[in-house]
Amino acid sequence: MSQSDFILDLLHKSVDQGSKLGVDFIEARYDDLQLTTIALINDIVKQSSAFQRKGIGVMAYFNGTPGYSYTPELNLEGVKNATKRAIKLAKSTDERNVMKLDFESIPAVKEKVVLDVKKHPKDYEFSDKLDMLKRGVSSIKEVLKPTSTTGAYGEMFGEKLLVNSEGTEIYWAPVMVDIRMGSVFISEGKQAQSFTGTGASKGLEFFEEKETTPEQTGTNAGKYCKEQIDAVAAPVGKQTTLVSPLMGGVVVHESFGHLSEADFVVTGQSPIADRVGEQLGSEHVTLIDEGVTQYGGLYLPYDDQGIKTGRTVLVEKGILKGYLHNRGTAQKMNAELTGNSRAINFMFDPIVRMKNTYFEKGDLSFEEALEKIGNGVYAVDMSGGQVGLDGNFMFNCNRGYLIENGQITKPLKNHALSGNILELLKHVQGATKDITIRTGYFGGCGKNGQGGLAVGFGGPNVIMDQVLVGGA
Amino acid sequence: MSLDKVREQILGIADQTLKYAKDLNIPSTEVFIYNLSSTNLTDNKGKVDSRDGLSLGIGIRAAIGKKIGFASTTGFDEESIKTTLNLAHSIAKTSPENPMFNGFVAETKTSKEGILDHVIPNLDAKDMIEHCNLMGQGFDSSDTRLVSVSYAVNISWGGYALGTSEGCLSSSLITTYGANSMVVLTEASDRKTAADFVLGREIKPVEGLTANAMKHGLESLGSKAFGGSEVLPTVWKSREAAPFLAFPFFSVLSGSGYVEKQNPWKDKLGEKVCVDDFTLIDDGQNPVQGACRAIDTEGTPKQTTTAIENGILKTFVFDKMYGEAAEMQSTGNATRGMGFGGGIPFESLPSVGPNQMLVKNVGKNLDEQIAEIDRGILITGTPIGLFTANPVTGDFSVTTNDAFLIEKGEVVNPLKSISIAGNNYETLKNIAVIGSDRETSGWPIDAPSMTFKGHTISD
Repeated sequence: MSQSDFILDLLHKSVDQGSKLGVDFIEARYDDLQLTTIALINDIVKQSSAFQRKGIGVMAYFNGTPGYSYTPELNLEGVKNATKRAIKLAKSTDERNVMKLDFESIPAVKEKVVLDVKKHPKDYEFSDKLDMLKRGVSSIKEVLKPTSTTGAYGEMFGEKLLVNSEGTEIYWAPVMVDIRMGSVFISEGKQAQSFTGTGASKGLEFFEEKETTPEQTGTNAGKYCKEQIDAVAAPVGKQTTLVSPLMGGVVVHESFGHLSEADFVVTGQSPIADRVGEQLGSEHVTLIDEGVTQYGGLYLPYDDQGIKTGRTVLVEKGILKGYLHNRGTAQKMNAELTGNSRAINFMFDPIVRMKNTYFEKGDLSFEEALEKIGNGVYAVDMSGGQVGLDGNFMFNCNRGYLIENGQITKPLKNHALSGNILELLKHVQGATKDITIRTGYFGGCGKNGQGGLAVGFGGPNVIMDQVLVGGA
Repeated sequence: MSLDKVREQILGIADQTLKYAKDLNIPSTEVFIYNLSSTNLTDNKGKVDSRDGLSLGIGIRAAIGKKIGFASTTGFDEESIKTTLNLAHSIAKTSPENPMFNGFVAETKTSKEGILDHVIPNLDAKDMIEHCNLMGQGFDSSDTRLVSVSYAVNISWGGYALGTSEGCLSSSLITTYGANSMVVLTEASDRKTAADFVLGREIKPVEGLTANAMKHGLESLGSKAFGGSEVLPTVWKSREAAPFLAFPFFSVLSGSGYVEKQNPWKDKLGEKVCVDDFTLIDDGQNPVQGACRAIDTEGTPKQTTTAIENGILKTFVFDKMYGEAAEMQSTGNATRGMGFGGGIPFESLPSVGPNQMLVKNVGKNLDEQIAEIDRGILITGTPIGLFTANPVTGDFSVTTNDAFLIEKGEVVNPLKSISIAGNNYETLKNIAVIGSDRETSGWPIDAPSMTFKGHTISD
């Protein structure tokens, strides 16, 4: 028996065991993911790591109550024990569980999805990947004389397999690559830094695309750092802000997207619970969450409950249209399945998470958007941020520019952008016609202890009024 | 599996892995063996979720002189271990030299391991539900302002072993218990969240956590706008002072930042960096705290380090490589995804991180500090944006809707969302009062309540 047949057999045995032990529904997931990270700091390879994450997770539902267990032990005994524990958890907690999130059976799906990758990272040597970082760092040094440089490469690929008691059997082989470049400049009392780059659900051919070659990423890192040396302080207070696709995407993901996750909604923790149909934002606000987009970003054909991912309209012309669901919340709220049940790896149960979350495009050219703003801030990139469950957010903008009389004039020092997304959506004044969506190996989304889940975010450039700019 | 069995298993696998490494002719090897069982149960407004499982894995560093490769795998099966050894070795072969690397820990030497609660591995979901019931004791669920209440109980037990081909073979075990309860309340346009928790190496009393959260949440309702912008003193409750200090101290006490010249305090050893009565200890040996271990994650015995004493910077904290690069020595601060920042330990290389830092108590309790304020702000919830401060300049700007206005020594009213801006490094020189009432924060730093001068408050 081949290894993949052996694993498939283990998953089926888990599902059979669950069915015999009287659960309503059971699913068994297998991950075999390989991750590689290389960090080149000041021309020294500080980290060259390869990780293998291999194991099985079992989710059982008894009377609408879930229980989840996992094991890295890929043998019959390990999987049987995990199955038994999952069922025991579901049964033990059923009495307390008053909010049943059971769901009706759906037709089985059998599908195998393998990305068409031209240069699969598994076919290339460590030295090929290190060479890309070195080329990127050289490009930084062509722009300025940095005090220190950082180059980071990440890749993830492998196999995921899902079997459930409805007969569904899905095989999915994800691939992701990423390169980031950064530089620090400290001299004569002046300090500047930059960090930029992106990833894609693609093979190494991604780094042959004009905008994302290592050389271009390195040049950008050098250029953005150099700009910062003589950057001016951002104007503080409430500003009209042109928010870049990346920045707008992150703001929407972090501060609105999480509020639209239906597990927060059914428990009343989200401030947008029970508000479908309400005008939350201006007519320029349309927000989408989608598994496979025409704009790139994360490629996610199925979620971790085996549901085909679709395109979910969260907000349309300012009106709240719906939420992001797993099977249980969708049924409870009588909503369509959206394919948003995701787990970072086999050690976690699938919970409601985002896919590619983005602003829908508007009708302005970039120049028209600047003209409309007149005087304000162009916020392009960020380095960290925090959000609250009430919609409050705070992001550190590490690349921004002053807009004066409809023109981008000067680079700005690092500054904080803050506000409350539910207030801010009312002040969206328009968006440009082009959409960019990014994803990556580095970073990712965190929720309930599941950090670093790959998501996509983006959109057009969006004009937001009343963004509070601070001087961090 | 009992804790004793866990130790036996991880030490055995460390030893066996080193033998495989020798057979494979790897010149120098370090193996990190990890075994942690955990169970988590949450009840969010009656929606109960539970998860348990066993995290097993190995992280391997292979070295050829100063060339290092790292690889990790989940599970302990022989084939995966050998594949991972070969992978780490092959990465080392193609890696350039790391001039700072000077070999793995060579001795088996241990410190105190800390308290182990042998009841924790025997808790099951029914016990944890009972703990949720206890948390909810004495709490009035009929209040119409209550939107939702949630409970969570998390337990874990296990440990790690560290072996090197140079002769180190040690282990450290841990048990952990955490419980928390959170309420969401609304009144008019106010929406407030409040929580209370316990955390430790042993099972803790949890009675009344929900009632505590409810009390705090209700006090926060009825908030008023601050209206304007003013430079005012800020009084931070103990659990809020700790994360406020986390960002600056994790940066300025970092030995790796010192060696790499990115630490803003790199030239300040022996200098006055804080007010006179400020003392900060990095404690890896308090037996009731999670940071107490027999060894750090590269095999150095954990210790207690006084980093700042009476306002003077005494030392930075180091792992082996950076300690030696600085011509000092490791302070037992090698962490692998267990401290601040998270991550899967066996997938993480050792890096410099805090154990449990603590600001020594000095004088007045929270009420006494409030009583001394003519006009100021009381911070009662962790603001958002603490970790977006500029690491180079220390400038920060954060927001919170968990704050109260203080006037003439009295707490007057809760405030709607405000921003607090200042500079981290200036703040440390502008500490007005170091309190006497330190609580466990849940962060790798604990501090008493504190009063700072010179923050700009605006809305």
